[in-house]
Amino acid sequence: MNWAEEIIKTLKDWDTSMVVYVPDISIHQVTSLIDEDPYFRLVSATREEEAIGIAVGSYAAGRNAAVFMQSSGFGNSVNALASLCIPARTPIPMFINLRGGPGEFNIAQVAMGRAVIPIMDQLGLPHFILEDDGKMDRLLDGAMKLCHANRQPLAICLTQMLHGGKLA
Amino acid sequence: MRRFEATQLVSRLAGNAPIVSNLGPSSDELWHAGHRDRNFYTYGSMGLCSSIALGMAMATDEQIISLDGDGSILMNMGTVASIGREQPKNLTVIVWDNEKWGQTGGQTSHTGMGTDLEKVAQSCGIARTKTVTDLEDLEAAVSEALVTDGPNFIVAKIEEAGYMSIAPVEPEFTLYRFRNTFVEPRQPGD
Repeated sequence: MNWAEEIIKTLKDWDTSMVVYVPDISIHQVTSLIDEDPYFRLVSATREEEAIGIAVGSYAAGRNAAVFMQSSGFGNSVNALASLCIPARTPIPMFINLRGGPGEFNIAQVAMGRAVIPIMDQLGLPHFILEDDGKMDRLLDGAMKLCHANRQPLAICLTQMLHGGKLA
Repeated sequence: MRRFEATQLVSRLAGNAPIVSNLGPSSDELWHAGHRDRNFYTYGSMGLCSSIALGMAMATDEQIISLDGDGSILMNMGTVASIGREQPKNLTVIVWDNEKWGQTGGQTSHTGMGTDLEKVAQSCGIARTKTVTDLEDLEAAVSEALVTDGPNFIVAKIEEAGYMSIAPVEPEFTLYRFRNTFVEPRQPGD
């Protein structure tokens, strides 16, 4: 099972059938599989903040939801996390293609990519960085368990070292 | 048309249908109109009221009502496009349009300078739209929306008439009791 299939298995294990995303070339390796799988409802949002709102609505109505985005767009989602997810306590796992690391070619991606973890820390929200697929099944399962136990959002950051996707 | 009287009307017509309300006065007035477990009050995340309602509408077959505002919709107009893209049959968006940012000093909003939110909705592929200016037309529009396949998008022009007291709402409890109308409450060990 490759890293994308591991993510899909984990989402199913945790009864998470609503997936809201803003397109990204690397996470497309996962979202394209989700799009083909009738278990999921894949929803395209225009902006990451909107994606968080849609996911919260789905959770509030009883259907667990996850969000996929790129690190640049994470910056657009901060107020939704701070003023909706945290006070209302919503377990929304965020799968973030983390730009700005080894292999990055675009200067405009570096600052926001490197700010993701500090911002999550400032918000008091858990996060994990996946550099390779070793023990990935245990980490993903544990992250989902923590997300629901804490009833707060959580970031699972996917790096180029993991997905090998082109960074364009 | 005053927002509170319009909110009372929508709350009465909604029956048991979930209602999501925009932050500030829209949430306060929904609470004063009659608190119910299926009211989802927001007090932050400006712009996301109808996004939250869209997520609900895709998670359930029940009718979902969003009580949004002009300033809020303007902040996240992309979600009107998402509603047009997804075409949820069970979603009715009502925009309280006072053509201003009432709580920040009454500055004129873009709808007061020509932006027509009904036309925005139409251009996003939402076929069932209406702009109403009085309670009678609002009642007709909402009554029809709740028994007709949507999505429905109703712009309700309102006048500001002062603010009510802030509702005693805790966001965590709002979500908990709202969600528990859809799922079994968490049990020990869950």
